[in-house]
Amino acid sequence: MLLYAFQRFGLSVVIVMVAVSILTLMLHVVPGDPAVMILGPRATPELIEQTRVAMGLDRPLPVQIVTFFGNILRGDLGQDVFTGRSVSRIVFEQLPYTLILISVSILWAATLGIALGCYSALRRNTWLDTLTGVISVGTISIPAFVMALYSVLVFAVWLRWLPAIGAGEGFWDGIRHLILPSFAIGISWVGYVARIVRASMLEVMGQPHVRMARAYGLPDELITRSHILKIAVQPAVTLIGTGVAHLFSAAVFVEAIFARPGIGALIVQAVNERNYPIVLGAVLVTTGIIVLATLVSDLVIAWLDPRQREEL
Amino acid sequence: MTDQTHTPKSGLGRRAFLQSATATGLAAATMPLGSRIWAQSGQVLRVSSYADIDALDPGFYQNGYNVDVMNCIYSKLVRYVPGREWEWELEAAEEIEQIDETHIRFKLKPGLMFTGGYGEITAEDVKFSFERVLEHDSPVKSDWGPLDHVEVTGKYEGTIVLKEPFQPLWSITLPYGTGHIVSKKAVMEATENGGDFGMTPPAFSGPYILQEWKPNQYVQLVRNPEWTGEAPGFDEIRILPMDDTKTAERAYEAGDLDFTQITLSSLAQYRGNVPANTVIEEYPSLYYVWLGMNLDNPALGDENLRKAIQYAINADQIIDAVYFGEAAPATGMIAPGLPGHRETPSVPVAGDLDKAREFLEAAGGPPSEPLTIDALNASEWKTMAEVIQAQLAQIGIPTQINVQDSGSFWTLGMESEGDRWKDMQLVLNRFSMLPDPYYATSWFVSDQVGIWNWERFSSAEFDALHKQALSETDTAKRAEIYQEMQALMEASGAYKFITHEGTPVMYREGLEPALRPDGRPLYIDFKGSV
Repeated sequence: MLLYAFQRFGLSVVIVMVAVSILTLMLHVVPGDPAVMILGPRATPELIEQTRVAMGLDRPLPVQIVTFFGNILRGDLGQDVFTGRSVSRIVFEQLPYTLILISVSILWAATLGIALGCYSALRRNTWLDTLTGVISVGTISIPAFVMALYSVLVFAVWLRWLPAIGAGEGFWDGIRHLILPSFAIGISWVGYVARIVRASMLEVMGQPHVRMARAYGLPDELITRSHILKIAVQPAVTLIGTGVAHLFSAAVFVEAIFARPGIGALIVQAVNERNYPIVLGAVLVTTGIIVLATLVSDLVIAWLDPRQREEL
Repeated sequence: MTDQTHTPKSGLGRRAFLQSATATGLAAATMPLGSRIWAQSGQVLRVSSYADIDALDPGFYQNGYNVDVMNCIYSKLVRYVPGREWEWELEAAEEIEQIDETHIRFKLKPGLMFTGGYGEITAEDVKFSFERVLEHDSPVKSDWGPLDHVEVTGKYEGTIVLKEPFQPLWSITLPYGTGHIVSKKAVMEATENGGDFGMTPPAFSGPYILQEWKPNQYVQLVRNPEWTGEAPGFDEIRILPMDDTKTAERAYEAGDLDFTQITLSSLAQYRGNVPANTVIEEYPSLYYVWLGMNLDNPALGDENLRKAIQYAINADQIIDAVYFGEAAPATGMIAPGLPGHRETPSVPVAGDLDKAREFLEAAGGPPSEPLTIDALNASEWKTMAEVIQAQLAQIGIPTQINVQDSGSFWTLGMESEGDRWKDMQLVLNRFSMLPDPYYATSWFVSDQVGIWNWERFSSAEFDALHKQALSETDTAKRAEIYQEMQALMEASGAYKFITHEGTPVMYREGLEPALRPDGRPLYIDFKGSV
C-alpha cells in the first residue's frame, strides 16, 4: 500500500510538471504583451521594454520554464506584476474559498446523490424510482451557472433569504454565503451520483455475498449498509475524485456570479491581464490539488474494498 | 440618453477656475475646522466597483478604480466638484493661482495632518509627491506633462514650475490621480528611494483611511481619526469588486449594495420597474466607441472604400441593437460637456446609404475578399460587430468577425507585438478619457502610430494642432482646435464614431451620492443615510 502511494505520488509530480510546462508554452503562444497590460497605455516604449526584461520575458522559453521550476523548489512562485505581492500569498489567500466551495458542493452531491440512488435502488421499478430518475437526469442537464443565476434571483433577490454576493465574515455568515453557490455547483452532480449509486447497488444486490447474508437472516438494513452500500459507492467516489477538475471549472462561473473570492476568478482575471506569475502559480496549485484528489479517491477505494487492498 | 440634454459646458478656463477656487477657498477659510465637523454615526456605505484595486500609490497607479479609493485616503490641492458640470474647487490648498503660463503658486491649508505621526502636510510634501512621478519614470508621468520642478517658498507655500504651458494640468493632473499628496518622510522610510509603495500606503491624509483590503472581496475605508477637516458622511465605506455589472445589479436588488452603476441594457427594464426605495439617474460618459480602419492595410488603401464604410454604418441602429437605444451617439471622441465636443459629425450619425454606394462605385466596387472586423469577446462587442457586418452587407461589402480576449485584443495594433497589425483591417475600439480633450487626441498623433494609434493615421496638421491646443489658454479657441482635429480624423476615412455610451446609476433613497459629470463616484463626498 505504501509503495503504491509512493508510485502514485511520483506520477503526480510528473503530471504537474507536464501541465505547467504546456501552460507556459500556451501563454507565450497567445498574443498579448504582459508588460503593456501592466504599465497601461501611457507608458513609454522604453519603460515597456525595461519591464519585459525585468520580468524575464526577453529570455528563451525553455530558460523561463526551468527558472520557474527552480523558483518553485525554493518555495518562490514569484510576484504579482500589478500589486507586487507574493504570488503564493495571493493564491493561498484565494484557495481556501474555492476548496470550501468545492468541498461543500461535493457534500451536497454525495449526501443527496447517495441517498437518492440508494432509495431508487431499494424501490426499483416503482413510481418513486421513476421520479428520482427524472429528477436526477434533470439536475444533470442544468449547467451550474444557470442554477447559480436562478438561485440568486429566487433566494436572494425575490425571497431575500440568502445573500447574493461575497463570502461573508465569521463562521455563520460564511455558511449563509456558501449555501447558494455550493448548491448551484453540487446539484448537477447529485444526478450523476444518484444514477451511478443506483446502478451499482442493483449490481451488488445480486451478488453471492449479499444472497449469503440474506440466507443467514441478517436484517435488511444491516445488509444494505455493510454489504451493499460500502461497495456500491465506490464508483461514485471515483467519479467525485476525477470530477474535481470539473468542479473547479464550475467554480469559475459561480464565483463570478456570486462575486466570491476564489482561485477560479483569480485565474480568469490573470489570464485576461496576461499576469503570468499568477496564472502559473494558481494553475500549479490547482493541478496539484486535482492530481491529489485523484490519488486520494484511489486510496479511499483501496481502503473501502479489501480485495483491492490485498492486490496492492 | 435623457440626461445628456443638460447644457454642455465648454470646460473651465483658468480665470473662471480662479474665481470659483478663490470663492470656495474663502468660504472654507472663514469656518473654523472644528465647527465644520459633521457626521452621522454607525453608517456603512456599500458600493460596487468594476475591478479590485491594484495600486494605491498615486504616483504609479494605472486605473480609475484606484483613484476612487485614493480620493478618500489622500488630499490633493484641488478636486472635482460633484455635479453635472466639470468644475474644480480647493481641497488641501487654501489658495491657488496661475501667475503666468508656466507658474502656478499655491498655499496649503494649515493643520492638515498625515496619519502615523508624520506631521502636517507641507509644501515639501507637495514638491516630493509631484516630482517623484518624473524622477522614478512613472508610467503615468505624462499626466504631469512639462513639469520642471516645484519650488518651495514657505512651510505651506510653493510654486509649480512648468517648462511650457500645459492647460490639462487644471483638468486632469491636479484634481485627479497624480495630484494626490503623500508624506515625504513616510514614503522615504517605506521605500528608501521614494519610489512606488504599491499597495501599502505608509500614511494617509484624507478623511478616510484604508482599514482593510481583502483581495477580490472588499476595500474597507473608515474615518480617519486624525482628520481635521469636514467629517465624511459615513463611518465606513465598503467597496466590493464585481467585474460583471449585472452581478452588481442583482446584489443591489438583493439589498447587498446601496449604490451601483447599472448596464445600459438593463436601464429600460429598471426604468419600467424601479426597485423599492431606489433612485435611478443617468449621466453621460467619457467613453468613446468607434470603428477604426487600418490605413496601411492594402485592402483599405482606397479612400473611397473607407468613406463607403463610414457612410454605410448607422450608429443609431447599433445603439438600438446593443444598448437598447439608451446610449448617446458620438459625434467624435470628445464627449458632451468638454471643450471640443462637436454638435454634429462630418459623417452623419445615421450614415447615408446612397452616398455609401456612390463612394463604393468610385472605389471600383466592394473588395473581393471579406474584410475582417476585430472585436473584444464580450457579448456587446460581438453584437455590435454583427450589426456592422449586416450594414456593410447592404452595400455588398463582405466581412468576417474575429473576436479576441482582452489580453490579445489590446495589443492588436502594436508593432511591438509582431506583425499582427499588418493584417488588422476594421477594428471596433473603445477608449476612455479624462475630462480634457488633450487626453483623447494624444492617442492619435503620429508618434502613437503602431502603439495606440491603430488606424495608423498620421497628419502633420493634426500633430501641430495637438501641440498648439496644449498651450491655448482661451477655452473657445481651444475648443475650435479640437473640433478641427476631429474633422481631420473623419476626413481621413479611417474613423466612424459610434457612441459615448452612458453611465446610469441606481442608489437607495436617502443617500446623497456625489458623482462627477460622467457618473464616476466621488465617495469622499457621499452623504445621507442608507
